[in-house]
Amino acid sequence: MNFGTKTFRPRAPDKGAFPLDHFGECKSFKEIYMRCLRDNHFDNSCCRIESKEYLECRMDRQLMAKEPLEKLGFKDLEDSTEENETKYNLG
Amino acid sequence: MLLPLLLRGCTAKHYIQQALSSTRLCVNCCNIRGLATSSVQLFLRRTPQRFLNQSRGAKTHKRKQSQEDDWKKKNKTVLTYIAAAGVGMIGMSYAAVPLYRLYCQATGLGGTAVAGHGTEQVETMKPIRERIIKVTFNADTHASMQWNFRPQQSEIYVVPGETALAFYKAKNPTGKPVIGISTYNVVPFDAGQYFNKIQCFCFEEQRLNPHEEVDMPVFFYIDPEFDEDPRMARVDNIILSYTFFEAKEGQQLPIPGYI
Repeated sequence: MNFGTKTFRPRAPDKGAFPLDHFGECKSFKEIYMRCLRDNHFDNSCCRIESKEYLECRMDRQLMAKEPLEKLGFKDLEDSTEENETKYNLG
Repeated sequence: MLLPLLLRGCTAKHYIQQALSSTRLCVNCCNIRGLATSSVQLFLRRTPQRFLNQSRGAKTHKRKQSQEDDWKKKNKTVLTYIAAAGVGMIGMSYAAVPLYRLYCQATGLGGTAVAGHGTEQVETMKPIRERIIKVTFNADTHASMQWNFRPQQSEIYVVPGETALAFYKAKNPTGKPVIGISTYNVVPFDAGQYFNKIQCFCFEEQRLNPHEEVDMPVFFYIDPEFDEDPRMARVDNIILSYTFFEAKEGQQLPIPGYI
């Protein structure tokens, strides 16, 4: 064994592990997300709304700890929806 | 009688001794003659004891003794200093372990988790649109693990600073429930320190009932500092590989990282 070579150090995930979706409650959201990915040549930036909806589905069904979406990196999506809402309310 | 003594060149003490002995002789003579003078007796009584008791070379013997004592003292102090230094070195080698760990965490040396990177970073990070990275997914199982485990997408194109979601699928084809536990690996190793998982399915026991199939998501992002690291300048492809093992009932596996 070489002690000088760099080894990979696995790190625990920040928020722990996802509970398993035994009953497939969010399977439809996952299918929508996967279809979006396939249509966009697996570009993540195009399918962020679908991924946000999948996570929201998980949170609603107690399969994920509830957290504000900004903390999950969806701040830009939240801001844009707020802007749209205010525009709709004003206009 | 004093003259031969002079010729020999004795010390003053010797002089006095000889003088005393001579006076004693005189006193004896006088006693013999019957004339014990009180003055002589007074003289004998008044001379301090040290003059009477010392022998030749007493002074040099005392000097040697004090010198030896000095040396002994010096040796003792030197030995205590050396012993203290030795104990100090042993203590430092024990203290070095947590200190080095703190240093590595502060500087992120060798791919260790940098302390202080947390949820605030996820909130405030800005995606770097110019740098597109292809993340390839790989799934493995241990030889004795009977699950069918595979990724649901072969690759995803992400940019640093943007969270991404990926799915794996696992199926238990056997007729009895199987508990699995997984670990992951990121290649290239250096990129592994920038690969942050917000939530996944690793390091915890996952139980699959007979003939059950589940979707397993991985929610991750690549640290925006990835773009600034010169060693990562030519890295465009990151491979994320998960491996599932079978876990025994009630087995407690340690979660990696300095918790």
